[in-house]
Parts: sequence; structure tokens; C-alpha cells
Amino acid sequence: MKSKILALLGSTLLTGTAMAGGYQVNLASQRQIGMGHTGTGLQTGTSSIFFNPGAMAQARNGVTIGASFITSKIAYQAPETNTTVNADNPTGTPFHAYGVFGITDKLKAGIGAYTPFGSTVRWGDEWNGRFGLNELSLQAIFVQPTLSYQLTDKLGIGAGLTVAFGSVNLQRSLPVENSNGDEGKIELDGGANTAFGFNAGIFFQATDKLSLGLNYRSKVDLEVEEGDVTFTNVPAAASANFQPGTQFSAALPMPATLTLGISYTPTNKLTLALDISRVEWSAYKELRFDFTKDVAGRPNSVNARNYEDTYIFRLGGEYKVNDALALRAGAYLDKTPVEDGYLTPETPDADSRGLSVGIGYAFSEKFGVDASFLYINKKERTDAANLSGGVPGTFKSIAYIPGVAFNYNF
Amino acid sequence: MKKYIYKVSALVLFAGVLFTSCDPEIEGFEPSKGAKLDFTKYVAVGNSLTAGYQDRGLYREGQLNSYPAILAQQFAFVGGGAFVQPLFTEAQANGTGYLKLTGFNPPANPGASPSPILTPVTTNLAVRTDVAPLPGGPRLTKFTDTVNNLGVPGMSVLSSFTPVYGGINPHFERLLTDAEVGQKNYITKVGESQPTFFTLWLGNNDVLTYATNGAVADPNNPFSGLTPAAQFQQIYGALVATLTKGGEVEGVIANIPDVTSVPFFKTVTLAAVRASAGNQDLNIYFKDGETTRIIAAGDLIPLSTQSALGRVDMIQTPNGTAPIPHGFHPLNPLNDNEVLDVNEVKEVTDHTKVLNDIIAQVAAANKIPVFDVNKYFNERFAKPFVLNGVVYSSSFITGNIFSLDGIHLTPRGAAIVANEFINVINKNYGASVPKVDETQYRAIPLP
Repeated sequence: MKSKILALLGSTLLTGTAMAGGYQVNLASQRQIGMGHTGTGLQTGTSSIFFNPGAMAQARNGVTIGASFITSKIAYQAPETNTTVNADNPTGTPFHAYGVFGITDKLKAGIGAYTPFGSTVRWGDEWNGRFGLNELSLQAIFVQPTLSYQLTDKLGIGAGLTVAFGSVNLQRSLPVENSNGDEGKIELDGGANTAFGFNAGIFFQATDKLSLGLNYRSKVDLEVEEGDVTFTNVPAAASANFQPGTQFSAALPMPATLTLGISYTPTNKLTLALDISRVEWSAYKELRFDFTKDVAGRPNSVNARNYEDTYIFRLGGEYKVNDALALRAGAYLDKTPVEDGYLTPETPDADSRGLSVGIGYAFSEKFGVDASFLYINKKERTDAANLSGGVPGTFKSIAYIPGVAFNYNF
Repeated sequence: MKKYIYKVSALVLFAGVLFTSCDPEIEGFEPSKGAKLDFTKYVAVGNSLTAGYQDRGLYREGQLNSYPAILAQQFAFVGGGAFVQPLFTEAQANGTGYLKLTGFNPPANPGASPSPILTPVTTNLAVRTDVAPLPGGPRLTKFTDTVNNLGVPGMSVLSSFTPVYGGINPHFERLLTDAEVGQKNYITKVGESQPTFFTLWLGNNDVLTYATNGAVADPNNPFSGLTPAAQFQQIYGALVATLTKGGEVEGVIANIPDVTSVPFFKTVTLAAVRASAGNQDLNIYFKDGETTRIIAAGDLIPLSTQSALGRVDMIQTPNGTAPIPHGFHPLNPLNDNEVLDVNEVKEVTDHTKVLNDIIAQVAAANKIPVFDVNKYFNERFAKPFVLNGVVYSSSFITGNIFSLDGIHLTPRGAAIVANEFINVINKNYGASVPKVDETQYRAIPLP
């Protein structure tokens, strides 16, 4: 089931470069990206499946499909050196697809697929941190069947079951070299067991102009069992330390997120929205790989992460120029969950600032297009990385994320 | 309306291309030589460690990765000039020959370590067969151009003063013209180099030669004892005065590491020998002067003794000759020069401290900062440490810092030491010489 879905979607669609805090990828709707990725306190149409299932009861029947194209750039400089290493990250394409269908006037069913977590970072095998990381590709797809019910004119509730699929591929250089000077490499590759969680929300239309929403997306643990460990270029003399046929298991938490959203509509043309999210990153304590055969004399590899819970503050607005055209803008501040001493090259995270613009155009009552552009700038961060087994130095990340989505209502 | 969409799309696309061409920039480190330093002509003065000697030989790869070569490469970012080393040619790249790790013998008994097989490299040498060898070994292909790396394997403070040494040590002889051999001492050669910046790391052989020979001076080699403090002080003072030219020239002085901090003295232990023999009751006997003693805590067995340990010798016993393994029986103990016993360790470390005090005094008098290698080796290398995800230690082979002779640095070790030199320079001279990425230098390749 899992592999079929992954194959269906194609591997390029799976790559999401983590450009939110940690390895979260907050790119769930082009309209909402344009508004600083707010959306919990307002009607967002089909994407309410993600932002707030409580608001889905009022969504029109329809489908939306969209994708973002992440160009992320990360620069690194080792302490007291004058050479900069640039990560060569592939373009990431997180996507989303939503469909909503009315069962009764008050009860709606929906299904969504989206990529709320992921990370692809490629440092190569020559930089000084290569024994920590050459490249990491972490992919997660959530599929979420959802029901939403309009309790009163003002109050809607909704909940969905999230079914999570994922995979991880991590490559490192090994500090052993053969007589040709080639360094050994280890590659960990595995698909995660299907995991489950939920996404629930309440939507309250307080007045004509003011609405509120509360949304909770639960933690999902992605666990890999019997992942493959592949060694290359291991010298014969060290082969007992790196045996073929080794397998690994690992678990990575996709943390819970609680969001409170408020929306205010001063005029028919203008919508303002504010979201505050608390991401329970403290679930990520350590990155641990357990091996079926000792690797370098050890049955496991454990590095502390000790993330802390963080908040994201989002602000966005939409101005309807006319019935067809909408212009959007937004901004957010996403605090980093990575504490001092724990910075790693797999997520060289720092407080990130996002600025977004968007445009929506309805070609007809039924068909519309949304385009968004998000610029993310993470603070330059210098860390000793002495607590995480990471790579000390200074990191700086920026990202340019254009995206486009199509929606069809019926 | 479609036209409008196209226009907007084109604009977004254009903005996208514009933005994506910008790379993030790190407001980081500005290389600077500071106000006082001039790296135009950097000269490295020292012994085998400075020359790039490793794996019990001097060869081209070691020379190319010597810590002075690495330093010169980093100095080039802050105005450093060309740095000439007396490199062996590609055709004679293996120089004096050296040891190569070609395999491991499996552990003789459970719990023992596999023992490395070290094979001498004997091809493409720079050894001269057209002339008679010197007392210090066969002569080597000459390199009499002016050089910046004056590291001479075997050079000590004591031998730097005597012109005779050019006719003894082939590494020094190769840097001298035929007319200079036996006529010019090392200090004069150093003086002629006229540096604008120097590193001086000399004095190790004023104790190490004695220590590696089990604290037995060779009567035929006047440079094999512990150099007396007074003599050391006089020569060292002259050497530093020659380099600094009365305060005109800046540099860094490195002192003498504790000989017991290197794998040469830490690998062959009683526990390791017992594990290898599979006999926890095994004792090792050695001659301590006139008496024969059992090896105990604090007595050090040099790496060079390992191959002799257990060698079956025919020994005269009261019951006739019998085969007795060397070192494992009171009738065939290890020789005095095959062990650095606990008292000799103290003698050597005490004398190292005396000489290091002199180095500190001379440096202070000339206002030259000291890289306290003794402290650095003892504190940094004493227990395993992690750098860029790699574990290092002073263990033989697996520690990756010390080469196959157990005394000299690997290229990786040289880079780590070069960075420490840079620390001392930056700290004391207000300079910002960039550090080197040590992972770009090899450690110990495995077969």
C-alpha cells in the first residue's frame, strides 16, 4: 500500500526541504502561503482539511491541487576559517491535494494529502562535516480522511485521521580510508511503517467580521524497521567493523502542533488573519539508530537533539480587487526548536523570518488559480555543536519558494 | 484578462530568477595578519617533526603535508610569500624509505589486538649509492637551493651548534654544498635564511634520542645523551637571537613534548603482551642496571622493542643451553636499552621540564610567544577527543594523530598541530590567520 502510493506520486514530488523550524514544512496551500500561511481562524476552502477541519463544514464541494518549488540555499563556514561551503540542495516540491464533498447540508467529508514534514539537504562528501552528514532525505506524506459538522450557524467542528507514510535516507562518510585514500561511506535507507494520528479543529464565526479557530494536529512517530545499511569503500582491515547485511531501526517524531487563529474582515474586500502555533518539538530527544550488527564496535548510534517547544507567529491579509482577482501578503516568525550546542548539518536551524505575496484569480465560478511566492531568511547562527555530535561553525539559510495551485468547485 | 495573468506570471518568474541567483553570505571571519606580523618570508626551524618526517622516514608526501607547509598555505591568505621545501623529486618520492601498513595479523588469542604488519618501502628512494654513507646513514640527493623549511630530522639544539654535524647527519648534509659540509653549523644556515616570520620547534632530540634508546647513551654518538641544561641554554639563546635579530623579527616558539605522551611508549604494555600471549600470569623481565627486574607499573616498553619480545634465544643455563624467549624469563631479560624504566621516565620528564623552562625564559626575554606543545600533547591527546565527527587519540594507528613510527605526526596530526600554531599566533599577535580544514589531510589509510 505504502510503496504503491509512493510510486504513484513519483519520487520528485516527495522531496520537501525543511524550511520551517526543525524539519517541518509549512506549505499546505498556495492561497494561505500568500497570506503568511495563516488559515486556522478563517474559511480557507478545501485546505481547511489541513488548517482547521472545523471550518471544512462550510467549504464548497471541490478539489484543489498545488505544489511549491523550494530553492533553498545553505552556506556554512567552519570556525575561524575563510572558506564557505554551500549545500547543493535539490529543488524540493512539497505538494498538497484536497477534495471536499457534502454528505448533508451540515456534514461534509473530505480527503487530503499533504507533506507537513521533510528535509533534503546535500552537503557532499568533501566538506569538513562529512563524517556527520553527506546528505539527508527525509520524506513524509500524510493522507487525511476528514469529517466536519456544522453544529450551529456559528460553530463547526471537524476531525480527520492522519495516515502517515515516510522514508529516510541518510549518508555519511566514515573516518576510515583505504590505501587509495578513498573514505568509507555509510548509507541508511528505509521506509517507515505506516503511522496514524489525527487532526481536529473547532471553527467559530463570532460575528460577521470576526472568526476564530483552534486546531490540533497530533504527534506522529515515524518508525523505520529493518532499514538497509550499506557500506562502501571500507578497507578490508576494517571490514569487521562495518559488516554487510547490517540493518537498522530508528524512530523520528513528527511533533504535534496546536494553532489558534483569528480572522477579521473589516470590509468585504479585505481579510486579515493571525495565527499562533505551538509546535511540540520537545518530542525530539535524540536521533538514534539501532543496528542488527555492531557498527564501529557499537550496537547503536545516538546523538542528542533535545529540541524545545516553539511558537510560530503568522500574519496575513487578502485584498479582493474584484470578484475574480485577489492579492495577498503575509509574514511570519518561526522560532527555532534547536537549542545552543545542538545545531546539526541535517537541520542547521535558526529563527526564520518569512515574507510572502500571493495572487488568486478565478476564471469562472468553478475554476481558479492561486500563485504564491515565499521568501524565507533564517538568522545567521554560529554554534559549537558540542552537544549534538554536530559540526561546529556558522550556518546561514535562505529559500525562495514559488508555488501554484488549481482549484475546481462543483 | 489572460494577458494580465501572463504579465504577472512573467513578473513573478523574473523576480524568482533574480532572487534565486543570490547566495546566502556569512558575515564571518576576516583574515588579517594583524599590525605586527609580516609573513613575506616564513622560515620553519626544527627537527623531523618540522621536516614532515613520518612513518619512520622522510618522503615526499610527508614533506608536502608538513605542519610548516600547512602553515605557509594559511599564511598565504594574509600576505604570506612562497614557501620552498627541500622536496624529494617525484622520481625519488619515497626519500629515505618508510613504513607502510600492509595488513594485520589476527589476534593470537581472544581478547588480544590484531598486530599491524608494517612493511618497509624500498623503491624510488633518494638514497645515494655514488658516495660513502655518513655516520648517520646513507647520503641523500642534495637540495642546496635556499629553503624555507629548515626542518632537519635528527637535529637537536646541541647538534645545531657544531659544524661537524653536517658531515654526520645526511638530512643536514643534503641541504649543504659540498664545501659547506663539516664547515657550516645549523645556526649559521638558519641565520642566512633571513626570515620575516619564523617558527622554532627544536629540542625534542635533546631528550628523545636518549629516551627512545631506553635511557642508554651511545658512546659513539655524542648527540645521544641528555643535553646539559647550561649548554642548552647557551645554544638556544644564540639560536633565538639569530632569528629575532634583536626584536626585529616575530615568530612562535614551540617547546618539547613529554616523550611519554606518544604511542611509541604507550602501545606495548604488560596487559597487551599478556592478552596477546593468552597468559595473565606472564611476566616481563628486564635488566635494570646490574639487577634483573619484573616490569611493573610505570616502566615503559618502546614500540621498537616489540619485535624482540619473545624472540627465542639459545641461553646458557646451569643445565646446558636452552631456547628461552627474550624478556619472558629472568635468564633472558630485555636489555637495559629495550626498556625505559620508571626511574628513567622520571629522569627524562624532569629534564624535559628543565629544558622547557629554559625555552620559556629565552622566549620571554625575546618577547616571542610559546606554543606549549608539552601541555597540549598531555592535555589534548591524553584522552580521546572528537573533531568534526572523528575520534582522535594518542593510540597507535587507531588514534590517527601519530604515524606508524609512533612518534611523528600523520598529515592529519600535522594539520591539527598547525591549527594550534595558528591559535598561538592569532592570540598573541592580534592576527586572524584562517584555520585549516584538518579533514582534508589523510590519517592512517588501512589496507
